[in-house]
Amino acid sequence: MTRNAAIVGGGHTDWGERDATWKDLAQEAGKATFDDVPDVGPPDVEGLFVGAVQPERFAFQSHVAPLVAELLGVEADSMIARTELACASGQAALRYAWLAIAAGQLDTALVIGVEKMNLPDGHDEEMQTSMSNVVDREFDGVNGLNAPTYFSFLGQRHMHEYGTTQEQLAKVAVKNKTHAANNPYAQFRMDIDVDDVLDSYPIAPPLHLFDCSGVTDGAAGLILMSEEKAREVTDEATYITGSGQSCMAGNSVNNVPSFSAWPQATVAAEQAYEQAGIDDPVKELDVAEIHDCFSISEIIEYEDLGWVEKGEGGQFIEDGRSELDGDIAVNPRGGLLGCGHPLGATGVSQALEVHKQFTGRVESARQVPDGPETGLIHNLSGSASVHSVMTLGRDPR
Amino acid sequence: MSDEPPRGSTSLPDSVDFPRLFDFYEIQSEDETRIHEFYANLDDGSLTTTECADCGELHFPPRVVCPECTSDDLSYASLPHTGTLHAFSVMRAGAPIGKVDDLPFVVGIVDLDGVDVRLSARIDDAEYDDLTIGDPVTLKVVDIEGPADLERVFYRFVPADADADVDA
Repeated sequence: MTRNAAIVGGGHTDWGERDATWKDLAQEAGKATFDDVPDVGPPDVEGLFVGAVQPERFAFQSHVAPLVAELLGVEADSMIARTELACASGQAALRYAWLAIAAGQLDTALVIGVEKMNLPDGHDEEMQTSMSNVVDREFDGVNGLNAPTYFSFLGQRHMHEYGTTQEQLAKVAVKNKTHAANNPYAQFRMDIDVDDVLDSYPIAPPLHLFDCSGVTDGAAGLILMSEEKAREVTDEATYITGSGQSCMAGNSVNNVPSFSAWPQATVAAEQAYEQAGIDDPVKELDVAEIHDCFSISEIIEYEDLGWVEKGEGGQFIEDGRSELDGDIAVNPRGGLLGCGHPLGATGVSQALEVHKQFTGRVESARQVPDGPETGLIHNLSGSASVHSVMTLGRDPR
Repeated sequence: MSDEPPRGSTSLPDSVDFPRLFDFYEIQSEDETRIHEFYANLDDGSLTTTECADCGELHFPPRVVCPECTSDDLSYASLPHTGTLHAFSVMRAGAPIGKVDDLPFVVGIVDLDGVDVRLSARIDDAEYDDLTIGDPVTLKVVDIEGPADLERVFYRFVPADADADVDA
C-alpha cells in the first residue's frame, strides 16, 4: 500500500567557514526552503526529520529536532526525529521522510540537514578529535585514523590492485571543483588542473589536499509531500523512485569487506534500481550526486554502483564518461570536493541539486544538457561501512 | 534613559581535566570494561582476542557476545605477533587533541600471520617512503602515560627488520 513521495522544493545556505552558529544555519536553511515553496508553510509540516551528525560535539547541543521545530515554527504533530548516520545522515533523514509518507503516516514532511564543523580559532584539534570517532574509537580512532588516512588506504589498495593512477584521482578533483566554481553556495570554487592537484600538499598519500573534501559549515532543506498533495502545489515535483541501504555488519577495520571495493554500495544500488525499474544505470541515469568525500571514493563508486567493470573506474573518469556531457553527469553541484561536506547536510543538498537539475534551475554552466529526467544520490558513511542510494525521477514509478 | 542594571561577574576555572575518552584510550580496568582481559594480556606482552566456545568464531575487536551465534561463552585466544602491511599512509596534519606533537606518524592496516584478523595500528620506527605493501611487521606494546593516573597500554607495530634496533 505504499504511496509515492515527491520533493516539491528546497533551499540552501552558503557553505564554508561561516560566521554563524548551528541554530543560525538551521534557520537560514528553513527560510530558504519555505521561500522555495510558497504554498507550503510551517503549519503544514506534519513530520520533521533533521540530519545532524555531531551537534553534541561541534555545537554542544543535543535533542536538535525539536530545537529546529521551535526555530522554524513547525509543530510536527505526526513524526519528529533527528537522524545520525555519520556522513549519510542527510540521506537517512530524507529516507525516513519518504518512508513515513509512503506508509501513509503523513502527507507533508520537512527535511533539514545541518552541520557546524568549524570551531573558533585554536580549537582545530577539538574538531579533529570529534571527527575521529566515526570509526571504532577504541580500536581504530585511537590509532590516529581520521578521514584522510582511512581513505588513503583505499586509494593505495585500488592503485595497487587495479593500476589506478594518481592522475586519474586528480581528474575527479578537477572535475568536481570546477563544477563547484559555477555553484554560488560551494566552499571550494576553483579553476584548477591536474598539476594543481598533484602539487597540493600530500596530506595522507596517495591523497593530496585537493583530493579531499573540506571542513564545512552549512545546511540545506527539502519539503516532501505525498504525490496527491505534491500535485496541488507544483507541476515540477521530483519523485523518489527507489531507496536502498546496506551495511554488511562491518564497521571496524577487521570487519569491513574490503579496502578496494564496496560491495555494500552494489547491494544498496541494486535495491534502488530494482524499485525504480532501472535495468541499465549508465544508459538510464542522466545525473548523479555521489559521495566524493575523497577523489578515490568517486572512482570506486563508478564501479560498485554498477556503471563499469571492477577496476575500470579510473578509466571511466579518464574517458570523460562522468563529465556533464558524458554518459552520466556526476556531481554537477561540485560534489563534496567542491561544495565541502557539512556532514548532516550533504545528502539533502545532493537531492536538492537533482531536483533543481530536473527543473532547470541551476546556473547554466553546470546544467546537465538535454533535460535530465532520472537521477541518483549516493552516500557512504563512517568507515565506508554503510552505503545509501536513492533514485529520483521527474515521473513517479 | 533607564537606570543601569546591576552588573556582576561569574568565573570559570582556567582549565579542566582532560574529558574522559578524549584521549581515545579506554579505561582498561575490570571495573570499567568487560574486555579488561584483552588489555591485561597486552600488558603482559601478549596480543589476544576473544574466541567463541560454541561456534569457534575468532573475533576482533574482542567481544562479550559472539556476533556470529550470540553466545556469551567466550575465551581469550593468542594472536600472532607478526603480520604484513595490507595498506599504510602517513598522517601529516589534522591530528586530534594530544597527538599533534606526534606528527607526522605512519598508520597502517596489518594482516596478522596465519589468522583471519586485520587491524589498524600505528607503525613506529618507520618512514612512509621506506615502506611497501606486504612488508613484515611485528608487535610493539606501548605504555600510555598520562593524562590521568591510570595504567594503560596499547599495541603498535614496527617493521620486522627494525625489531632488532627496538630491542637493542
